[in-house]
Amino acid sequence: MQNTFNRRALARIGLAATAALAMGGAALAQEAPAEFNIGVFTFSSGPAAAYGMPGRQGAELMIDMINESGGIGGVPVRATYVDEAQGAEGVISEYRRLANNPDTQVMIAALSSSNCLALAPVAEQIGMPTISWNCDTHQLFLNEDLQYTFRPNGNTIPEFAAFAAYLMEVKPDARRIAIINPDYAFGHDAGEIVKATLSAIAPDIEVVAELYPSLGSSTFQTEISRLSAARPDAIFSNLWGADLENFVRQAQPRGLFNQSQMILALGETVLESLSLPDGVIVGVLGDGWWNTPTARANEMTVEFTEAYRERFGEYPVFPTMKMANALLFMQQAVEDAIADADGAWPSRDEIAAAMEGRTFESLTGTAVLREDNDALVDQVVGMSAQDDELGFSVMTNMVRYPGEALMPPLGEDPIAWLGTLSAEWLETLPKPGSYE
Amino acid sequence: MLYAIIPLVVDGLANAALIFFVAVGLTLVFSVLRILNVAHGSFYSIGAYVAASMGLWLIGSGLNPWLSFPALLLSAALVAALMGPLIERTLVHWTYGRGEAVQILVTFGLFLILEDLQRIVFGVRSIYADTPMALLGVSEIGGIIYLNYQLLLIGLAVLVLIGLRMFIRHTRYGKLISAVVEDREVSEALGINTRRIFMMAFTLGVFLAALGGALATPTTGVAPGLGAETMVLAFAVAAIAGLGQVEGAAVAAVIVGLARVLAIYYVPALDAVAPYLVMLVVLLIWPFGLFGSTQTRRI
Repeated sequence: MQNTFNRRALARIGLAATAALAMGGAALAQEAPAEFNIGVFTFSSGPAAAYGMPGRQGAELMIDMINESGGIGGVPVRATYVDEAQGAEGVISEYRRLANNPDTQVMIAALSSSNCLALAPVAEQIGMPTISWNCDTHQLFLNEDLQYTFRPNGNTIPEFAAFAAYLMEVKPDARRIAIINPDYAFGHDAGEIVKATLSAIAPDIEVVAELYPSLGSSTFQTEISRLSAARPDAIFSNLWGADLENFVRQAQPRGLFNQSQMILALGETVLESLSLPDGVIVGVLGDGWWNTPTARANEMTVEFTEAYRERFGEYPVFPTMKMANALLFMQQAVEDAIADADGAWPSRDEIAAAMEGRTFESLTGTAVLREDNDALVDQVVGMSAQDDELGFSVMTNMVRYPGEALMPPLGEDPIAWLGTLSAEWLETLPKPGSYE
Repeated sequence: MLYAIIPLVVDGLANAALIFFVAVGLTLVFSVLRILNVAHGSFYSIGAYVAASMGLWLIGSGLNPWLSFPALLLSAALVAALMGPLIERTLVHWTYGRGEAVQILVTFGLFLILEDLQRIVFGVRSIYADTPMALLGVSEIGGIIYLNYQLLLIGLAVLVLIGLRMFIRHTRYGKLISAVVEDREVSEALGINTRRIFMMAFTLGVFLAALGGALATPTTGVAPGLGAETMVLAFAVAAIAGLGQVEGAAVAAVIVGLARVLAIYYVPALDAVAPYLVMLVVLLIWPFGLFGSTQTRRI
């Protein structure tokens, strides 16, 4: 396990050491707590719970697995779950309340991009190591020097650029594009990223409809009519949770899936629960599918998947894997921080220092944290196809795009960087079907 | 030209139909009880939950899937029969004659209680029961495929409007309701049991909301939050029509439905605010709504 300290980390440890000395050295030789407390933030109610609950279930299982194997440094992990459905104000308030307990040393927060953006300054102010387990807006680290916020699961730029690349590989003649995304930062960012990437690869692309229905909409019937009327070659969507389920259930009988090439960026989350037709481009916003060749070859992933299925009666979805990966990231960092402190229990600052610059072995691949605390994560994209053995659709014709190929260089404007891509860039990427 | 207009009209009417069921119940309750019931949207979502559960049970039991159509109606009736009189007698009647602030606080409290009860009983995951939609198939209109179930909803909304009109104008209870709306004190002096009329009108409002929810289930998942989303739109419709206007609610529902559709087709950025922009314009010009007046005690 590689663990790189940079100047920021050393400076922080220096500050922490000075503060500790000023307090009589009490913080330098901390005793292990009875419990390692963490806050876990996800949606456990409302329409977003369809996405958030698999994440929470993943946390429950992974924490049980960690505790069954002796906890972290011999200390059991205890999670307090916070429902993000209460809105940013409530989420911040809960975060502060949990942080007031000195035994709470890490926050796994959050699912929603808007909550991550709201919590990042609080994390900096309190000095609380915070792992953004799911939120992936590229704006989180844009022009910010965050020292306590870490994102081992990647960001929106590679996630959505991957779908544009995949579409141009499997449907190179697609020119009329429609977009239907949720009406908040995540949806609008994805729309911008897909348009910028497609325009760079194929400059004659035409966006024939661009719709942003409210998050939590129960009906998309008018949007479906509008999309039908626009006759697009391909429809991109990053709807998620109950919105995605409603959209698929309403669009499928109305022939939208037959009329256009459908791209459901978060489609893996409904493969088991819905009957998707074959040939829909689906993905996992990263590499977190339980059934990739990489995941199948990892003994721990197989064990986690089977245990999840046994406990919850369904296969994990990628939010589950992202949550499990975030907890593994935390476990590995804290264990390294204990080792770095010669067995003494680490402080929040020491844990944050151990998180910086990690090369992290997750359940589904390897992620490398950059200097800005954002990770380079591979992107797995595929197409839905019925699997008779499992009894539901799975991803086939898969490709695993290397994270670094889709990530803008540090300090570069992400959208401007996407504009520099070209058809030649596409040629440098692995091809659909190359990862089976 | 006609080819382009037809989808707008069909989508607009289909949109309007679902909003109408909730809005007309809201406005009916207001006209009789003089209460703006903030919890009205909860009856919509409870109707949806009960209908979805009943539909899933029917299919799971291997019964004839066509029974899922009467089950929608039965669900709404069940919700109305169980919850209408109970809530009106135990909670709502305490607010009669009190200030609007008290009424809104009480019904908002009820809304929060009912929302949490739904979470406890039905969980937080979406429930889907789309058998009626699948049974009816699809039709192509103006080059766009529509669910026949959407077209059925438009017809049902028209039927409910006509039925309500006939009930109020041509039945004994309808006339009693009209009398109470016109003048409660005189009605009581004439021997009309206004307590009973209030309970009946409230229950009818619950039934209409629950019916809207039940009829929505075949095309949409039922999840927590559904009631709040619908309620806000219903308020907009009721405000545009003028509170207390049954036919006005139908016209306003069509206006709101069309406004949303036009926004989605031509100015998607205004999709979410279109109904409220219409409401704003209407209220600026007609402060009591399109069909309302300073004396709104009529239905």
